[in-house]
Amino acid sequence: MKKIIFFIILLITIKMSSQNKQVLYDFADLPQTLLLNPAIEPSYKFHVGLPFLSGISSNIGSSNFKLTDIFANDGRNINDKISSVINSISSRDFVAINTQIEIINAGFRLRDNYYINFGFYQEIDAIGYFPRDLLVFFNEGNATNLNRPFSASHIRYKFDYLGVLHAGISKKINDKLSVGGRFKIYSSSINLQSNNNTATFTTVNGQNSVYRHVFSNVNVNLLTSGLIENNEYIDDASSIVKNTFFGSNANLGLGFDFGLNYKISDQLQFSASLLDIGFITYKNNVKNTRISGDHIFEGVEFEYNANSNIDYWAQIDQAFKDQLPNTEDEVAYTSFRPVKLNAALKYSFGEQRRLLCYDDVYKDYYTDALGVQLFNVFRPLSPQLALTAFYEKAISKKTRTKITYTIDDFSYANIGFGFSTQVSKLNFYALVDNILEFSNLSSANSISFQLGFNLIFN
Amino acid sequence: MKFSKLIFLFVLCFSLTSCYEKLDFDQLDNYVYEPIFTSSLTSFTLVPGQFFNSQGVQENSIVDETRFEIFEANIVKDNVVQLDFYAEIKNEFDRDVTINIDFLDDNDREIYTFSTINVRSGELNFTYLEEIEISQNPDIVNVTKVKIEASLENTGTQMNPNSTEEFEFKSSVTAYIQTKL
Repeated sequence: MKKIIFFIILLITIKMSSQNKQVLYDFADLPQTLLLNPAIEPSYKFHVGLPFLSGISSNIGSSNFKLTDIFANDGRNINDKISSVINSISSRDFVAINTQIEIINAGFRLRDNYYINFGFYQEIDAIGYFPRDLLVFFNEGNATNLNRPFSASHIRYKFDYLGVLHAGISKKINDKLSVGGRFKIYSSSINLQSNNNTATFTTVNGQNSVYRHVFSNVNVNLLTSGLIENNEYIDDASSIVKNTFFGSNANLGLGFDFGLNYKISDQLQFSASLLDIGFITYKNNVKNTRISGDHIFEGVEFEYNANSNIDYWAQIDQAFKDQLPNTEDEVAYTSFRPVKLNAALKYSFGEQRRLLCYDDVYKDYYTDALGVQLFNVFRPLSPQLALTAFYEKAISKKTRTKITYTIDDFSYANIGFGFSTQVSKLNFYALVDNILEFSNLSSANSISFQLGFNLIFN
Repeated sequence: MKFSKLIFLFVLCFSLTSCYEKLDFDQLDNYVYEPIFTSSLTSFTLVPGQFFNSQGVQENSIVDETRFEIFEANIVKDNVVQLDFYAEIKNEFDRDVTINIDFLDDNDREIYTFSTINVRSGELNFTYLEEIEISQNPDIVNVTKVKIEASLENTGTQMNPNSTEEFEFKSSVTAYIQTKL
């Protein structure tokens, strides 16, 4: 119990910054930027990511409150602190997690105008909106909240653990325009989701009883796949992992990424991408729970009829079952992936240099660049937008840096820093976010990182 | 600069510039979960005719009971610290009515008996509150039934069985939960 509560508190306090990889986007010709925009034109002949080490990313963030709000050793009463946190959060706040680990990633040039790349990565993608009414109900009870409707519409969450096999191609149409696309096959192992729920529970003063407990417009759906088999929770970790690698009980789906990159002038460039336009159909080990109906409970009404032997409690139980039926089924369902939008305008300036790309192909580049980026992920309740300004600097032909300033739902002062370098064929990159909070990570609003190793061949 | 040195430099830079405030997760040991849940319990409305048997003779006392299984929920059974029983009563009868409430276990053994509630004739806004400290009455978590007996004052005369005067009773129970994680 303690661990569960702690985990819930941790989830509440840790709010991931929604898959935005603003430092990585179009940075330093890294192979991983192709996953953010398949139209980016790499300057090398081929690349191979170090297996399991080419791309590791995770985003962590919080808004409205921080871990220190609850766990700081400040002498305040823990009950007061937790109540204060619950009261400070709205049902539009959410917890989101996105972590990706690349298992393989490779690409090669096909003729001069095409770059083909492919790979496989594992992803945990989850979002859970803060079920504020539910937490207030369980934290305070209904006695001090008469006439207050507790809404179950706040129950909105989605969790996916999946593997993604992908292959993409970028094509240079002409000197100004390049386009790209990526085909993805999803192999989902676990999915939990609940959305578009309705229901209120209200305790009001009654006429014929002290209280009326009103369950109104109840329609709650809890969908799961890959979690329960033969009415028992699946706890075999190896089979869970196998299903992300297209195991026998994997749930499959398809998706596409699209991107374009347009040079408005020699120094000005516009790029944009749409990622994860796709769906997954869940039909293996599905177990859905649905509750619907309306009901009013007013307690037991005695009849004082000596001739009958009424089982009032059984009547109440049956009334709940009849009017708020709780059903389980194994009906397959389809879920769309959260679509992500990236767009950027980049102005290059500074010293112009020439880079040997491959064979005898050279590419001119500027040492400095300034620009803005827009990121949006389409979530169940509303889109999550982030706007980033950036400055990129090539310290040498092989070493590049990038500084970003991002405004999003969580922070108005998120500064990120990226660093990529190459020694011989080995490339290393590391990107971190919200470095202003490094002075005290415990009170950080958000922190994210991406790092990895690639072998790059010219 | 060697590649390994570059990586070392990056990690060192991150390590030196980042620090964290020490957090005290043991505070959760002091967290007390203490919601208060309330629910209607029983209600009834009696008219004089209900006190008459099939032979037309007034019986001064009638009884009804129901199962009452709130202690089936472990969170209540293990963590309730106080139960409040509350009643609102209206007596339009021409005589006093007394109410006796018993909490019983599965074997109909009396676990908790309330003090007799006497509602005078014509009393239309009678309220009753009984606060039960669980620490003083630990057996109460074994309660599975509630029995309520309504008794008429013996005035020596029968009521009019066709009278529409009412005796109205409404009750609720409030459970105070208190537990650590």
